[in-house]
Amino acid sequence: MNERPLAKALLTKPCCEDDTPGNVSAGDPRVALVGNPNVGKSTLFNVLTGARQRVGNWPGKTVSVAQGTWRSPHGDITLIDLPGTYSLLPGSPDEALTRDLLVDRGMDGRPDLVVITVDAANLARNLYLLAQVMETGVPLVIALTMVDIAKSRGIRIDAGRLAELVDAPVVPLVPRRGEGVDELARVIGEALAAPRRPAVPVLGADLEAALASVTAEVPDDVAGRYPARWLSIALLAGETVPGVPEETTAAARALGAALSTDDELDDPELVIAEQRYAWVHEVIADVVTRNGAGRATWSDRTDQVLTSRWFGPPIFLGVMWAVFVLTTTVAEPLMTGLQGFFDGPVATGAGRLLDAMGAGDAIRGLVMNGLISGVGQVLSFVPLMAIMFVLLSVLEDSGYLARAAFVVDRLMRLIGLPGRAFLPLIVGFGCNVPALAGTRILSDRRHRLLTGLLIPFVTCSARLTVYVLVATAFFGSAAGTVVFAMYVLSIALVIGMGLLLRGTLFRGMAEEPLVLDLPPYRLPAVRVIGAQTWVKLQAFLKTASGIIVATVTLVWLLSSIPFGGHGSFGRTPIEHSVFGAASHAVAPAFAPAGFGDWHASAALITGFVAKEAVVSTMAQTYSMSEPADGHEPNGLGAALRGTIEQTSRGHPIPAVLAFLVFLLAYTPCMTTVAAQRTEIGGRLTLFGIGMQLTLAWLLAVAVFQVGSLFL
Amino acid sequence: MKPGEFAKGALMRLCQVTGDRRHRRRLAELGFVPGAVLSVLNRGMHGGLVLALGDGRVAVDALTAATLVVEPAGE
Repeated sequence: MNERPLAKALLTKPCCEDDTPGNVSAGDPRVALVGNPNVGKSTLFNVLTGARQRVGNWPGKTVSVAQGTWRSPHGDITLIDLPGTYSLLPGSPDEALTRDLLVDRGMDGRPDLVVITVDAANLARNLYLLAQVMETGVPLVIALTMVDIAKSRGIRIDAGRLAELVDAPVVPLVPRRGEGVDELARVIGEALAAPRRPAVPVLGADLEAALASVTAEVPDDVAGRYPARWLSIALLAGETVPGVPEETTAAARALGAALSTDDELDDPELVIAEQRYAWVHEVIADVVTRNGAGRATWSDRTDQVLTSRWFGPPIFLGVMWAVFVLTTTVAEPLMTGLQGFFDGPVATGAGRLLDAMGAGDAIRGLVMNGLISGVGQVLSFVPLMAIMFVLLSVLEDSGYLARAAFVVDRLMRLIGLPGRAFLPLIVGFGCNVPALAGTRILSDRRHRLLTGLLIPFVTCSARLTVYVLVATAFFGSAAGTVVFAMYVLSIALVIGMGLLLRGTLFRGMAEEPLVLDLPPYRLPAVRVIGAQTWVKLQAFLKTASGIIVATVTLVWLLSSIPFGGHGSFGRTPIEHSVFGAASHAVAPAFAPAGFGDWHASAALITGFVAKEAVVSTMAQTYSMSEPADGHEPNGLGAALRGTIEQTSRGHPIPAVLAFLVFLLAYTPCMTTVAAQRTEIGGRLTLFGIGMQLTLAWLLAVAVFQVGSLFL
Repeated sequence: MKPGEFAKGALMRLCQVTGDRRHRRRLAELGFVPGAVLSVLNRGMHGGLVLALGDGRVAVDALTAATLVVEPAGE
């Protein structure tokens, strides 16, 4: 039996715990956008609110919801963009929000008006949700979207007749072109001024009789709390609603059971769904006329290729390759350029300014090595993240992502993830940070969390530079094979950890059969993608900048503070700084893995901040402890070799392999941690760090201990 | 019969959806109710199908396709 908890608190704050002041004033009317996925709902939201929007978590839930202010000609309106749903009987946490807002929060917590987007090109399924929303009795306006696509398919809809049948205004529009938006504003203004209930879909004689009996049995105090029609249908379907006496629930359930035919697969919920569809088809028969129906659409012809078993997979791999190239090769010069700008002109300018101000070494170090370097690292990720967000929007809005999910579904099932999870994992090979942002394409929260925990095991391009340096120093011409092996190990780790997590922490994660709506292919709207990218970038900068600047500053501070009476602040060799002392202290932990030396542990500690810093830290630690002129071009590799030969007691090969394995498996960088916090929350991020460190250490020790028996 | 047994484009009528309650409800909400007319638009890998259901297009895996009990429907 379904028991759905009711939200105790009424919706005093419309949405979003993350309550940035400024945008939304409490007194504005609240309008919720409801609709199926992929019907132009978010496009409409973006067109109406522009950049005046923000994303926050739904109170008490981990689903994020966009809310914004619409400066309509009739005054400001708070718009809530609810996640797309097919039904008010939710299948996922995202979908549950619509029901939460329209039903579970009680009559007082409901929005003033619901604008339901109805896809003119796929009316039946959209009218089904409309039927359910009508049953809640909330005042509504129908935004009839995709009228251009419907027209191109020879589907004509009599909007006036639909409005009569539903007893609510219907506004045809094409949101991406802004067509019909003024009319929508006018109609919403009127609907808010004089709210009225829509009609109620009639669900057949038997069902209506049963509903009448249930309605008569519901006590008045409960009936006032919920939409009456919805309550009766819920009880008939066998739901338990708090406040309803047990005998009433049982009687309703018996009535519901009696509705079912003798078929054991029939149950009241399905009978109700069938009756709603019967109503839907009556409405369609009344309002739709078709010309030339049945011809194959452009979208269908494209699908013949993109979802075919022969062309689908290579095209999918091609698209993934393009995403990978754009997030690596194209983003890289932009990132380097921005980083260079901060290390160069900005740092020089700031240095001069500080000199002019007569700032001491401490202030100078804090500004130059902490703030500027940290902010530079955050901002250097902006082009990469922007590219990633644009790509995600393009893939999603064009309709290709749904096809990709279908093509690759079977493969991803191996680790219990849906086909869509392939995209973030592939992107992870370029950089884990945009990959984590990419987990947003997964609608199920548990899938997002699991993917978010696995992404750090995907070896990113920053790790590649360290593999190359270390492998070249130790393996010469075989370095390529070693680097390739790291990639193979990375994939093995993702699959292995995926299976392990599925069998433990994510046990019971429902293996959903694939039932995927394929929206028609469309050209994405530049304006909408721009707005979405901007909102997502802001969220990334807000969460990531604090963590990164703080960590970079901390590492600088620790390497500046002398330890054990060597030198003064900022003028101490790194070995004798607090950072050096910490590296020395950590080093013994790596002795069982064969690289228990402070140079290696110092590199690994800064590698926690950014893998790009591993090589520079090695250079720094060696140049400070060895004569600078003793270094040939490949001196760093040679120095590392010397160290590892000592620490591994004659087994340098397994020791260096262990070092590489540790490098692969432990926390990729601070920015990844920050992105993880944004996507999967602080607690799971901490768990993830623990898991990475434990696994990295165990694997490194295993590689060295087993390897030193043979090599 | 199962949808996979039909030729591309052939019309079929849905008789029943098997499987657990949640699955049947989910499909019913998408329009897979008895009497609905379907056709196979394309076959993907591993028995997956792209189905036309009214004006909608729905991709299902082999597992889901096997829960759809259908019969031939006239033109």
